[in-house]
Amino acid sequence: MAKKQQSKNWDLKAAKDLFNEYIEKGSEKREIPLPEDTIKIDDLNRKYTLERVYNLVDDIIERIYNTGKPSILLPSRSSTNIIWDQENDLLLLGKQIIEKQFHSLTSVADITRLMRVLEIINELLVKDIHATKREVFYTDVKLFKEQKTSDKSIEDAATMLYTTRNSTHIVAAPKGTCVGRLRIRDRNDIIDLEGLGSGGWTISPMLANIEILESDAEFILVIEKDAAMMRLAQDRFWRKYPCILLTAQGVGNVAVRMFLKRLSKELNLPVFSLVDSDPYGHYIHSVYLRGSKRLSYESPFLATPNIKLLGVLTRDLDQYKIPDVARLKLEKVDIKRIKDLLNEDFVKKNKKWETDLKLALKMNIKAEIQALSSHGFEFLTEQYLPEKLSTGDWI
Amino acid sequence: MRIFHKKDGGIVQLIDKDKMEEWSVELPLIFIEYIKDKQLDRYEDPKVKKEISAYLDEILKDVAVPRLISVLEGEEEEDKISALERIKEISKKNVEMARPIKPYLEKLSKSKNKSVVNLTKDISNNFVKADRRKELAKKRKIMQEKEKQFMAGKISGEDYAKARKDYLSLKD
Repeated sequence: MAKKQQSKNWDLKAAKDLFNEYIEKGSEKREIPLPEDTIKIDDLNRKYTLERVYNLVDDIIERIYNTGKPSILLPSRSSTNIIWDQENDLLLLGKQIIEKQFHSLTSVADITRLMRVLEIINELLVKDIHATKREVFYTDVKLFKEQKTSDKSIEDAATMLYTTRNSTHIVAAPKGTCVGRLRIRDRNDIIDLEGLGSGGWTISPMLANIEILESDAEFILVIEKDAAMMRLAQDRFWRKYPCILLTAQGVGNVAVRMFLKRLSKELNLPVFSLVDSDPYGHYIHSVYLRGSKRLSYESPFLATPNIKLLGVLTRDLDQYKIPDVARLKLEKVDIKRIKDLLNEDFVKKNKKWETDLKLALKMNIKAEIQALSSHGFEFLTEQYLPEKLSTGDWI
Repeated sequence: MRIFHKKDGGIVQLIDKDKMEEWSVELPLIFIEYIKDKQLDRYEDPKVKKEISAYLDEILKDVAVPRLISVLEGEEEEDKISALERIKEISKKNVEMARPIKPYLEKLSKSKNKSVVNLTKDISNNFVKADRRKELAKKRKIMQEKEKQFMAGKISGEDYAKARKDYLSLKD
């Protein structure tokens, strides 16, 4: 392990080996079927989503005629119905179905909101336009009261339709950016992600309009923080090391995760994450890896199960001699988060990951990616990343 | 994706031509033009460059041209106009890419739609200009050769004057 910053040409051997392994396996890649006790969600085009909306409404009307008791059925999104599929390394939604009835005032309000969201979805699909979650909230502030209520109804509506939220044309506001060796198409425009300056391309939430056209990248690097992304973009990291850089400024929203999933699947490249050396950073990595509990019904379209945690690992802090002034003590909330992560099946299964989290607890330390700057601004791009990608020091 | 392997172990991945079937009619041509103009030289590896050029020709032959022809032979005037506008732009920059469309221009020039006729005329003019440039380059080469031969006394003044006349008439 190099201790001093030096200008060196790293061969990125370990990353290249992984890349070659993926490329060779590419044609043999098989889709592992999802477990039978989970529900199947489809990513649909406009026509088929509309069809599902009409079928759903027909079902509800029929139930009202037949029973005289209006109600709706939808898959439960409670934690008891979230299943970790070990083989695919994904969090998925089980087959528990709940029935919401028009009996109490609470459920009437709930169903009214749900029906209003369905009405909005219908309008968006018919007009072939998209709206953000915030816009949906403002269509009926009196009914939704606060955005988290409309967000919940949007997620329920997508689950009821057994489709992804993006298929309903309700999208999150653009958040992430991407830069590097990639050319894409947004409708009829070709966008070169190397030619957009250090700001990069804002990942469009309207991913149905986006298509990957060309790339000569050899790996993808997902970065937790804007500041680190800026450092890599300023140094034009992708020119020396052919790659695609992507950041979501924290936890990846649906668009960012879906775009990453698509990059990883279509280009078949190794994916690495660079996050803070703290439990929140590890959590962000885990959301890219196997999806979030809240959106578990969409995991097959959002998760990137082959993503590797490149850093910053707890063990890196000693290995790269990060000075004490750049290290922070764990707070109570951090300790709780680490303990929660250690209880997760997907961490228990990954011994290297478990060891690193336990080390953080034992040493009672955390650090930000920027702590690496204590060795100079270029340390991240000229030493840390190339060395780790060359030696294969990742989880 | 279509994968091209470089000698240094790197790769270039290009979208599969099957996916272009759903694109708007002019987009495959825009894509070919984009890769040729902006990317091809950056790949450095001559083998990969050659393979990608061949793949782009394949896209032109199998996707771009048949799709354009289906629009040009179709009934939708607006689609025809937007396709012709695109072909006009391409023929200005790189006439060879638009050449497969040439046989269809005569029929289109008899269209009742004024815009279609005007665009067809502009495209035809671009072909004429390009052909003239090609011819002129050929004659220039011959002229230079004749000049050398004349100076060396290998051809008569009459032969030289004839070649010069041919060249100047084309130049004018």
